Parts: sequence; structure tokens; C-alpha cells
Amino acid sequence: MNDLTILVVDDDPVIRRLLEQRLGKENYEVLLAEDGYIGNEILSKEHVDVVLTDLMMPGDIGGIEVLEFAKELERNIEVILITAHSSVDTAVEAMKKGASDYLQKPINFTELFLRLEKISTMRSIMRNAEDLRQAMDVTESAAAYTIQNLEMTAETLQSKLDKIEDTLNDDQMDPETKVATSKDIMNNWS
Amino acid sequence: MLKITPAELKSVGKYIHDISGIYLDPSKSYLFETRLGSIAEEHGCASYADLHNKSKRDGSKRIERQIIDAISTNETLFFRDTGPFELLKNKLIPEMIDARAPKSPRLKTNVKIWSAASSTGQELYSVAMTIKELIGAQTDSYNFKLLGTDISDSAVKQASYGKYNKFEIERGLPRPTLQKHFTLFGDSWKIKDEIRAMVNFRKLNLMLPFAGMGKFDIILCRNVAIYFTLQDRKKLFNKLADCLADDGFLIIGSTESLTGVCSRFAPQRHLRSIFYQKK
Repeated sequence: MNDLTILVVDDDPVIRRLLEQRLGKENYEVLLAEDGYIGNEILSKEHVDVVLTDLMMPGDIGGIEVLEFAKELERNIEVILITAHSSVDTAVEAMKKGASDYLQKPINFTELFLRLEKISTMRSIMRNAEDLRQAMDVTESAAAYTIQNLEMTAETLQSKLDKIEDTLNDDQMDPETKVATSKDIMNNWS
Repeated sequence: MLKITPAELKSVGKYIHDISGIYLDPSKSYLFETRLGSIAEEHGCASYADLHNKSKRDGSKRIERQIIDAISTNETLFFRDTGPFELLKNKLIPEMIDARAPKSPRLKTNVKIWSAASSTGQELYSVAMTIKELIGAQTDSYNFKLLGTDISDSAVKQASYGKYNKFEIERGLPRPTLQKHFTLFGDSWKIKDEIRAMVNFRKLNLMLPFAGMGKFDIILCRNVAIYFTLQDRKKLFNKLADCLADDGFLIIGSTESLTGVCSRFAPQRHLRSIFYQKK
């Protein structure tokens, strides 16, 4: 079972259908959009892990704009661009803007599945790290509370000991007064 | 992975302590192996004793630096444990600003802050952002000097550069703070120049004498002494006491304690945090 939700944005109905079938067969959850507008609309409504978008699409919103929109919306989202051979330079530019990867047409599915698997592995490692950090935070704050209390208590006790020491060393006091004063210091819990 | 022998655990453990002050528990051989194994491999060493010898003989100290980078823990994040930053914002920095108020309005308020184990810079930048939010645009009236030191060259380098990847950014940094103080650089974020200009980073081994460090008004020494032996911890906090102004503040890690370590400091509680002042 794959736990990634993939949004496919492509104006070519054949590619959309092909990706839907192949990804669906691998048990990925697939959402489809026929242009950048619809793609961005889905992005703002649904939870998406990976966007698979064509670089060149008719209209104002191409693959780069989908990428920018997705990244602005959710920093964790992974975007893979699908490009024609001639637009590899643009795809490399897109990588600089935060795209995870690009695939050249015609799509090599073995390559695509490998990349998706890597994204999936990466996500589970990150989730695991996040769980560990949360567990650490809980342990740390519980420990901090205990340690702070001990630290303040130790300080109070130390200052009492210092006062008692001063009392016992006080040559002006007779032994009984020293004992009585020391007892007072001990019992005075402040 | 190259296995470490009991004799090597002892000798390499001592060597690591000598060069960094970090005490590695010899019962945790995996710590040595996972952190030093690839360095040994890179330098074609057949054993950890071999790596130890090569490092000692290496005049350029390149291997030593690699070992320190590998051994030191750079687990840090922006605003790690919110307590100390609330404490700085609501109490320590405003009080220090008042305490350092200049006699003449033409003079600036000088405040010196030191992050003694600054790692990759997140802590000191968090302090700088806290100060910036406190003083707003009145930067002309203040002269905040923020110093970050760390034993790891690569950590100091990254801190100085002030660029963080999305994983480092995501942790602890609220989105509005990110957008206010960072610029997007591809998939990474870079701290803005106005914050970068407030801080300085350099390499420092906390085990060595602090010659010429001067006095600081606030020192943060969080989650580093835990890697030292009790004896080294005592020395460290004693030296920190020497470097702290008489009315200065010390902040240590939230699970650290100075009881039995240094009697020159007294703890004080504020909300959910503790800070220390010299007795």
C-alpha cells in the first residue's frame, strides 16, 4: 500500500489517463487536473503529497507556476516536472525553485516509480525523526520541570547550611543559642 | 563498518577528549564506529589506532577537524525549547538594556551576548531575531554584540553563512518569523543581512583558556556541558563565571543543573525557566 496522494496536472488526456492507470495500479491515490488553474484549485482544497505536472501547458499557469503555488502553499510538497527533451534547461531552472526532480517524455514508468518510492522512504524517515523529536521534547520538558525544582531546592538547602555554619561559627553565641538558632533556620522553610 | 577494539576505545576515547573535551562512553562502541568509521575508510586506515596515529601526525590538522566535526553533536533548532527565548524577551534583555543605559543620550546601550556552543547558528540567530523584535527600528540607540563559538569548523562555517535547508527551517521557526527574517534561496532560506550583521561566529574549544574573551552581559551555554565529565564541567562553568559581568545572566540547558558543579552561580526562577546570576 502506497500512502502518497499524487496530483497529475497535464493538458494531454492520453497522458492523464495513462498516469491515472499506472499510478492507480501501484495503489497511489491519484487526482487529475487538465490545466494549471484546476491543478492549483485542487492544491488549495485537497491534501497532496506529490505533484506531477507538465512543464508546458496552455494558459497563464504552466508547470513553473504550479510549482511556485504548491511550494508557497505547503513547503513539504514534492513537485516532479514532466518535460519535453527541448525544455530540459527550464526544468533545471525549476529544480532551483524547489522542484524535486524532472522526467523527460515519453515517461519511463520504472524511473517514475523509483522516484516516488524514494519520496515515500524520505517521508517515513522524516516522520520517524519528527516522532523521535516529539518524544524527546516530552521527556525533556518533564525532566526540565523536575530538575528545576531540584535546583531551587538545592539552592534553598545550601543557603540554610551556610546560615547554620555561620551560626555555629559565631563566637558571640553560647552553645544553647547556637542550637536553637540552627533549629530555627532548619525549620524555616523559605 | 570497521570494528573498534577495547584497547582502541580507550586510546581513541582519550584522544577525542584531549582534542575536544567530549567524553564518549567507552561502553558505546557503536558511537565511535558510526561516527569515525567513514573517516578511517576515507584515509585508508586499517584500524582506529591507525586513524589515531595519522591524525596525530597530520600537521594540517585536517583529520583532527574531521574527527571533531563527526563527534560533536549539532542537534539544534531555531528557538529550541521556547522557555529561554521567552525569558530573554520578557526579562533578561529588557533588564540588561536598563542596566546598561548610557549616561548621555548621545551614547549607545552596549550589550554583549555569547552563545558558547553555537553549533550551526540557530540559537544565536534566534537571540538576534528576539532582540530585533524588541528594539524594532530603534537600532541606532543600541549596540548589541552577539558572539557564537563552536568547536566544529563546519558548524561555524554554516553558522557564518546563515543558510538553512527546509528541514532545518521547518523545525521551530514560525512562518511569520521566517518570512520576516529570511530570504528564500531555491529550496533553502538565508538569514537577512540586518540580522546577520548583528552576529559573529568563530571557532573555540571550551576546554582551553578563554584568553581575551572579555566580559559578557548574557551567556548561553546550553546542552554542551552534558558531553563533558564532571571535572571538565566544573572548570568550564568556573571560566564562564570569570567571563560574565557581575550583574550578568547565564542560561544553561533546560535539563542541566549547576548543583555540585559550580557554586559561584545562584539559580533564579522566572515563569517556566531558570537563569543564573553570580553570587
